[in-house]
Amino acid sequence: MAREGKVIEDKATPIKKEWEAYARKGNWTVKGYEMVMAPTGPGKLEESREAEYMVIYRPHGVLYHHSYGLVSKFFKGLIEKQLLGTKCPKCNTVYCPPRVHCWNPACRVAETKWIELPLKGKVHTFSVMLFSADAFLEMLPFVLGYVQIEGADTALPIQIVTAPTEVFVGQKVRIRFREDRKGDLMDIYAMPVKGQAIPEDSCLHNNPQTIKDLNRDLENTYAFLEKRFGIKKEAAQRRWKAK
Amino acid sequence: MDDRRVAILGGGMYRPDRVRFDNAEEGVAMAYRQLLEDIPKLDPQEIQFVQSSYFSDHLNQQLCMSWIVQDYIGLHRKGGYRVEAGGSTPLDALINAYFLIKSGRYDLVLVAGWEWMSEVDTATTNEFIASASDTDWDFTVGGFYNGYYAALETRHMQLYGETIEDLGQIAVKNRNNAVHNPFSQWRAEHGTSYVALEDYYKDRIIAWPYRRWNCALISEGACCLLMGSEKVAKRLSKNPMWIDGVGIGTDSMRPGDRLANWAYHGVYKADEKIYPEKYEKPITPYPEMANFGFAREAAKQAYAQAGISDPLKELDVAELFAPYDGVELCLYEDLMFCPRGEGKTLIREGVVKRGGELPCQLSGGLTAFTHPVGATSLLQTLFLYWQLAGLIPKKLGDPTLQVKNARKAITTGHGGTGCQGGVIIYSRD
Repeated sequence: MAREGKVIEDKATPIKKEWEAYARKGNWTVKGYEMVMAPTGPGKLEESREAEYMVIYRPHGVLYHHSYGLVSKFFKGLIEKQLLGTKCPKCNTVYCPPRVHCWNPACRVAETKWIELPLKGKVHTFSVMLFSADAFLEMLPFVLGYVQIEGADTALPIQIVTAPTEVFVGQKVRIRFREDRKGDLMDIYAMPVKGQAIPEDSCLHNNPQTIKDLNRDLENTYAFLEKRFGIKKEAAQRRWKAK
Repeated sequence: MDDRRVAILGGGMYRPDRVRFDNAEEGVAMAYRQLLEDIPKLDPQEIQFVQSSYFSDHLNQQLCMSWIVQDYIGLHRKGGYRVEAGGSTPLDALINAYFLIKSGRYDLVLVAGWEWMSEVDTATTNEFIASASDTDWDFTVGGFYNGYYAALETRHMQLYGETIEDLGQIAVKNRNNAVHNPFSQWRAEHGTSYVALEDYYKDRIIAWPYRRWNCALISEGACCLLMGSEKVAKRLSKNPMWIDGVGIGTDSMRPGDRLANWAYHGVYKADEKIYPEKYEKPITPYPEMANFGFAREAAKQAYAQAGISDPLKELDVAELFAPYDGVELCLYEDLMFCPRGEGKTLIREGVVKRGGELPCQLSGGLTAFTHPVGATSLLQTLFLYWQLAGLIPKKLGDPTLQVKNARKAITTGHGGTGCQGGVIIYSRD
């Protein structure tokens, strides 16, 4: 039972046992402590005296069950290898990410209609992440893109799987589905269409020093990947090749 | 609304750092104690309301921490509550306290702000902060604010042509200010020597185009400010800093939605026109993902109230809420210090540097001074209070950062990816 609703498809029961146990294990009780000496007081560091502190270790695990609401259709679509958006019948704005209600004040919260979108778009903007949250560390270097899907008027956050030194604003991309889809935006990724020339004015490329510096710090990231996860540089780079 | 004036009457700080072991209520108490030393005529029992300011419940495994803080300093008989709006939390707390006094209901309000951000590891701190983004959408792709902000800056850079060197110049400027601020984290980490652009290039890229130096610090610290009506101001403070104008603005939660940003559509026609022609125009060209519409809205309101028509000329000193150096550059534009796309000129020509026409981030700002979220705007306001009162040499033990004859100042707030924030204009008599 998902709260008070009737379950019509169950892809949760097998994982509930595992994760509910984990959530219960971190139950806000103190598991250990350290005694620490450190500066106390409000003033300048050089004028501070030391005090003795007890630092406790208290885990807190949580398992959320969250409804995607009426945009659930979008996420179910990802699982079924469909990219969906919504269109306002009044102002014709196409939303991807979808909105079930149009946000144009002139449309007075009109209900939108679902439409299927093509698996292509262009990079509106991007960043090259050389550090990230725990869940994404193994995927570094991670190119975060905001991609405008063809036919949509807004931009979708999506991972761009490419050599970080080759991404640019305006780049055409194809949207692909991952094999192991769970129902979030990481079920899809973007891959640049082959054969595009990097524009001369690309802000990442218009100064050779920028690429040199990025390459230097990419090496640090590869070293981190190998040390932490045993992923070799070549293996990390192979991900960027289209299958 | 009552037309009486409202002022900052003084304040105290608890020195922020990456990790502090005094806990939050003790930090606030020590900042409050500094405030009481600075305002000896204040009887704590006179305080009518405590406006609390802290951002995250997750960081400390504690809801309603303001109740702990308010009772710890013995003010729990008085009215009080917290406001929360991500990074804009402390500025919103100041504006809310302003409204409470301006309404005529209260004459004396204590604003208490703090954040303790190192009780989980750094990656988890980043995750908790990023959970202020839309967790069904943006958060799921990368889970890291630095990445979203870096993408916003990439867009601005592509459209308007600032360079990595410009971002570096801002980083260097803020560091070389912070070495004169003995309360800054940069000085605690680095010491008092200046850095140069070549040092910036050696710094590691975190999320291109941002290096570590371009990004906000993680901090633990506190600040208390006393705010009062004109009725009590003169009795309690030799140097009341008046609030001349306030403004609050918002924008969409998800920055990607700003390409079809109907709430802003057609409102800023001049800025829409500046959009470079060689790029395909989205439905709404301003603010797009490149600028901060909330800041423009807030500035418009605050300037109108304060009677400011040429901010660059009329303001003497600025402490902006800029968690990333590209945000600082965009704010030059959105706060109308210069036209859209000209932010780079202000750093290149030294307008925003120490000794320039409008020095920004003399404290070091969020990237070199500190960023304990709920206290940040309070600390920046206290710094401006010292500026306008001419107290910088005394408080910092170093006259370098004092702006001579500073009369008018601006501070801003900024939450999410520019989702919400505000502007306050201060002045002295």
